[in-house]
Amino acid sequence: MPRAEPGTSKPLLPQGAELVAPPTPARVYASLAVALAATLLPWADGMLWLVPDFTLMALLYWSIRAPRLAGLGVAFLLGLVTDVAGGVLMGLNALAYCAATFVILMLRRRLEGFDVPRQALQLAPLLLGKEALVLLAGLMLGLPQADWRWLAAGLVAAVLWLPLAWLMDRLTGYTRVAGQGEAGPRVRV
Amino acid sequence: MSPASHAPMFVREMGLPLRFSLYVLLCLFLLALDARYAALSGLRAGLNAVLHPVQTALAQPWHWLRGAGGFFVTHAEVSAENVELRQREERLRADLLDRRALADENAQLRALLALPPRPGVIAVVGEIQAALPDPFARKVVINRGEAHGLAAGWPVVDATGLVGQVTRVFPWTAEVTLLTDRGQAAPVQNQRNGLRIIVSGQGSDSLLEVRFLDAHADLKVGDLLYTSGIDGVYPAGIPVAEVVHTEQPRHSPFARALCRPLGGVGQYRHVLVLKPEPVAATVPPPQPSPRKSPESRHAPR
Repeated sequence: MPRAEPGTSKPLLPQGAELVAPPTPARVYASLAVALAATLLPWADGMLWLVPDFTLMALLYWSIRAPRLAGLGVAFLLGLVTDVAGGVLMGLNALAYCAATFVILMLRRRLEGFDVPRQALQLAPLLLGKEALVLLAGLMLGLPQADWRWLAAGLVAAVLWLPLAWLMDRLTGYTRVAGQGEAGPRVRV
Repeated sequence: MSPASHAPMFVREMGLPLRFSLYVLLCLFLLALDARYAALSGLRAGLNAVLHPVQTALAQPWHWLRGAGGFFVTHAEVSAENVELRQREERLRADLLDRRALADENAQLRALLALPPRPGVIAVVGEIQAALPDPFARKVVINRGEAHGLAAGWPVVDATGLVGQVTRVFPWTAEVTLLTDRGQAAPVQNQRNGLRIIVSGQGSDSLLEVRFLDAHADLKVGDLLYTSGIDGVYPAGIPVAEVVHTEQPRHSPFARALCRPLGGVGQYRHVLVLKPEPVAATVPPPQPSPRKSPESRHAPR
């Protein structure tokens, strides 16, 4: 089977792992369900503010890799479910998820080409921004106070992106060619 | 490969910014409906009923772990605990006899003074399932809901004092907002001198606050605060807090006091939901003539 050598430009047709293991709907939705279940676990009361939003992480992962399967609609539905599970105002997390997915879909071509650590760096402001958006939107809607410690969950999510994205790559048989996206050949630093 | 997993050759759909703005509008619409008009309780209850079995299944391994931990206790521990519980039960039984006598006496005295009978309560035992991941409020979920006859607004207590209030009821679960939440308040009475004040949460787990206290109010460190029962939500006489700090006014006309909640807010697994006893069915209504005049006088306000 022909493989794209590192350093050469990407072939027109999908090859290698991408052809062998494309992101199927079953995989995408199953992993989203697992991520949602992880957030629904009975976490200890004292550490709730540190629990990262696994649902959002899975959503962003698939928005980068399979934007036709996980897009704004899925983000909206998952956000509503998260709102109900968290007992917060309906639409608060849905709004934040939609905004994060929108940013991802705009930056997708760039993010696709990064390896996992660089992706984590690029996504850190987004994961942090989602928590900030939820807190600010809640305050603007007249809730009496917000617990700013919850911003820490965004940082935890950015750190956990490294192992989790690597794990997802492994589980779905996806191989990243470091530093080479659809934009063209690798740039030597 | 599924046909949806790659981009179509001809784009025949709305652009991404347009779709995004439509979703944002939809979210804002939902937020406004929920925040201002509380119109989404049906949708929320429905989604919650779907989520409930999933959450119960996910929590099950933890229950088993706790059960397994409880299985490996020694015989000595169990028998020691048994002796202690027996002694406690005897003491409580003696107290109960005393209480019955007092209740009878109280009922007779109230009848003599033509006062309406004290509202009674029925306790429903619930187990705390989880704390809600809500950055805006201090809430827990208990495993009793509409199916067990709960309704929003009922007080929740534990063995040591007031814990909070039921704020949302779902088919099999209910959401309890803790007393320490910033939006919660309870009218209380100082046990020492009967001073009536309002205790509010301030978002901290271990402290409550008396916000607008008269500068000359007689409130000292160590005073015990009990619910006064004048709000019609919390029945009278539930221990709420102990005053730990009072602050003289400096920049504002009001003094301030800090209290420690007596109820194990966020500590115990089991709580009691106090269901108001239907008094109207068992007891005849109070005499209308002496109560009519003050009510009609206060009505126009």
